[in-house]
Amino acid sequence: MNRRYANPYVIGVLLGLVLLFSFYTMGRGLGSSASFARIAAAGLHKIAHAHAEANPYLSRYLHARRPALMNWLVFLTLGAGLGGLFSAFIANRVRGEVARGPSIGVSARCWLALGGGLLSGFAARLARGCTSGQALTGASELALGSWVFMFCIFAGAYAAAWFFRKEWL
Amino acid sequence: MGPLYKFGWFDFNYGLELAGLIGFFFGFLLERAGFGNPRKLTAIFYLRDFAVLKVMFTAIVVCMLGLLYFSVLGWIDLGRVYLLPTYIWPQIAGGFVLGVGFVMGGYCPTTSVVAAVSGKLDALIFIIGMMAGSLVFAEMFPVLERFHTAGSMGPVRLPEALGISSGWVALLVCTMALSAYWFVEKVERRFGNAETLPAGSRPARRWAAALLPALGLILAVVNPDRVLEKKPAARIEIRQPPRRTVDDRRMPEKTPSPTFEIVEDEGC
Repeated sequence: MNRRYANPYVIGVLLGLVLLFSFYTMGRGLGSSASFARIAAAGLHKIAHAHAEANPYLSRYLHARRPALMNWLVFLTLGAGLGGLFSAFIANRVRGEVARGPSIGVSARCWLALGGGLLSGFAARLARGCTSGQALTGASELALGSWVFMFCIFAGAYAAAWFFRKEWL
Repeated sequence: MGPLYKFGWFDFNYGLELAGLIGFFFGFLLERAGFGNPRKLTAIFYLRDFAVLKVMFTAIVVCMLGLLYFSVLGWIDLGRVYLLPTYIWPQIAGGFVLGVGFVMGGYCPTTSVVAAVSGKLDALIFIIGMMAGSLVFAEMFPVLERFHTAGSMGPVRLPEALGISSGWVALLVCTMALSAYWFVEKVERRFGNAETLPAGSRPARRWAAALLPALGLILAVVNPDRVLEKKPAARIEIRQPPRRTVDDRRMPEKTPSPTFEIVEDEGC
C-alpha cells in the first residue's frame, strides 16, 4: 500500500497524448461506462429476449447497425483491462483482495462497492458518460456540459465523503 | 488530415483494433498512477492525495492544447470530431450521483476495470453494480426520458458559452490548472503523507509551470477560431453525416469512405 506510484503529472501528460491520438485517429475520445451498459444489455437480451427488445432505451444498443458488443468503447474497455493487468503484473501488484480502509469489514465494503456501482452505472447513463467519457473527453474539447459535469462529480463526492470516511481512512 | 477514420483512412474493424490498442495504453497509464487502488483514488476526497485531479487536469490541458494546435496547423478538422452535446440538467444530476457513487464504491467506471484485473474483488462487485445500475436506468427510462433530455443546448463549447475565443479559454484553462496544482499541493503538504506521494524534480516543475501559460498565450494570440472559420466544414457537427456542401469540394483529402459511420452512442 505504501509503494510509490508514478508521478501523476507525467501520467497526465501521457494520458493527454493517448486521448489526443484517439481524437486524431478516430475523431472521438475515451470512455468505458457505455460498454458496461452494452454488456448488460446484451446479457439481458439473451436471458429475457422479449423484455429487452421492448425497452426503448436498450434498443439504441440492440437495434443499431452492428451487434451491441461490436463497439469502439467495448474494445477500448477490453484493452484497458489488458493494459491495467500488464502494468499491475510488472509492478507485482496483482493480488486477490478486497481493497478497503483499516476500519471496515469485508462484507460491508462489498455492499458499499455494489451500491457505489449501482449509483455510478445509473448516473453515467443519465449524464451520458462517466469520468473518462464525459469529463475527460468532453472537457478537453471544451464542451460546456462536460465541464459542469466534472465539477458536479467533485461536488457530489466531497459532499458525500464524510459519510464514507470509515470506509477509507 | 485527422480524424483519419472520418477521412476514410481505415475501416470500422481496424478502428476496433485501434480501440483495443488505445485502451491498452489507457489502462496501463491508470494502473501506473495507482488508480487500481480505491484508497489512492478516494484519498482526494479526504484531502490527502490529489493524484486524481492532477492526472485528469493535466490530461485535459495537454489534449486541449494538442487539439487546438493541431487545428491551427491544419492537422485535424475539429468539425469532424465528435463533440459531446450539452444536456445541462441530467449532467448536473448525473455528476452529483456519480460523485457519490465514486466515494461510496471507491472507483469510477474505468478505474474499476483496472482494479478488477489486478485482483480487487470489490472492483468486480462494483462492475456488477454498474451493469445493474445501467439496467435500472433502462427500466426507468420511460419515466426519466423527459429529464434525460432536459436543458438540451446542443454541442455548445465554453468559448461560445463565455463569449470569448477558444484561445483565451485555453489560456484560462492553463492558468486554472496551474493554480489548482499549486493549491492542492499546499493542501497535500498539510494533510497528506509525504512518504507515499510521488516526488518530482523541481526544475522540471518550473519549466512546466512556465510552458503552460506560454502555450495558452500563443493560442490566445493566434486565435484558433479564426483558423477554423477559414476552413471548410468547420462547424461542429453531431450525429448527422457531414453535409456535402459546396465547401466540401475544396477539401484536398480523401472523401469519407462508404462505410463512414457517425458515433451513434454517447461518450462514455
